[in-house]
Amino acid sequence: MSSFPLFRKALPFLYWSPTVFFLSDHFFHVKTISGRSMQPTLNPDSSQWRDVALFSKFAVREAEDYGRDDIVTVRSPQNPKYVLIKRIIAMEGDTVKTLPPYPDLEVTVPEGHVWIEGDEHFVSDDSNHYGPVSKSLIESKLLMIIWPPNRFGTVSMKACPPQEGHPLSDEQRREINRHARVHIPPIPSSTSDE
Amino acid sequence: MRYSKRAAVGSFKVFNFLFAVHIFMTYVGRFSFMAGPSMLPTFAVEGEIVIEDFITYRLFPDKMKRGDLLIVRSPIEPTKVICKRLIGLPGDIVCVDPSGVVYPSTEHVVVPKGHVWISGDNALASRDSRMYGPVPIGLVKGRVFARVWPLNSFKVFTNQISYIE
Repeated sequence: MSSFPLFRKALPFLYWSPTVFFLSDHFFHVKTISGRSMQPTLNPDSSQWRDVALFSKFAVREAEDYGRDDIVTVRSPQNPKYVLIKRIIAMEGDTVKTLPPYPDLEVTVPEGHVWIEGDEHFVSDDSNHYGPVSKSLIESKLLMIIWPPNRFGTVSMKACPPQEGHPLSDEQRREINRHARVHIPPIPSSTSDE
Repeated sequence: MRYSKRAAVGSFKVFNFLFAVHIFMTYVGRFSFMAGPSMLPTFAVEGEIVIEDFITYRLFPDKMKRGDLLIVRSPIEPTKVICKRLIGLPGDIVCVDPSGVVYPSTEHVVVPKGHVWISGDNALASRDSRMYGPVPIGLVKGRVFARVWPLNSFKVFTNQISYIE
């Protein structure tokens, strides 16, 4: 074995691979985003590179810290080989106004499920095709873009609030449209009978 | 100084080994306790240890056959793992509830692409596809390979389903 210098150099890295694998499997991992379904938030046409992003698995599995407007990766409910990147539109209990391919006009998201959509829903295979997806299929949450360098930084999940006298930006218009389609039931106030 | 450095490297090595064991247990297989009444009479309510096999379906997804004992991440509670029997593969037409307790036994449904229909052996004490519908294959972690405890009921689970042509 020691007659292969390349192998001898790679051995220390191989030895520590369980630690690296564990960290990427339970905490943070880096993935290249392909496809157009999240345009213009991710992979915009103006960028010549595909976005590479940092995702947190810990936020989903352990902390369960994800909600409406967050961008998450989801194991495809139609083909387990693929992982999709979509935005959470509604959580369990919310009522969503659906978009064309879906047979019903309104859907109440059932227990343990979420409604996911791509930002560019007409090129996106999302909940409007296959309905609400199970929370258990969510794998990780997008934290920040790390490549290309000019797009380095966190992705704002919420657009900045519209200001008086400024025209609405594309991002703000999308967010307003998105929120208008979701009805969030009021949290029942716990009243004591004393 | 040199001693503390060696201790640090040593403890990193211990963690590295534990991570390797953990990865083996998540991706290849492990021993695990069985609990709950939903799979009676195949599994007792408590006190049984089984071998879970995660690697077979990962390498050969086509090996999933009707009648297999699946280990599935619960579609409604992400932290829970459940064991159920595989009833229908994608494209199959299944009867929603043959016992007629939850739904009338005349109702049938087609299992959609990429999903399976799962059901507990003990229909009266099981929460399964009858309540939450077909489950995405992406949630299937593996299958039960064998029961190892108690020793006198050791059993390797093989598929016993035969089809009527």
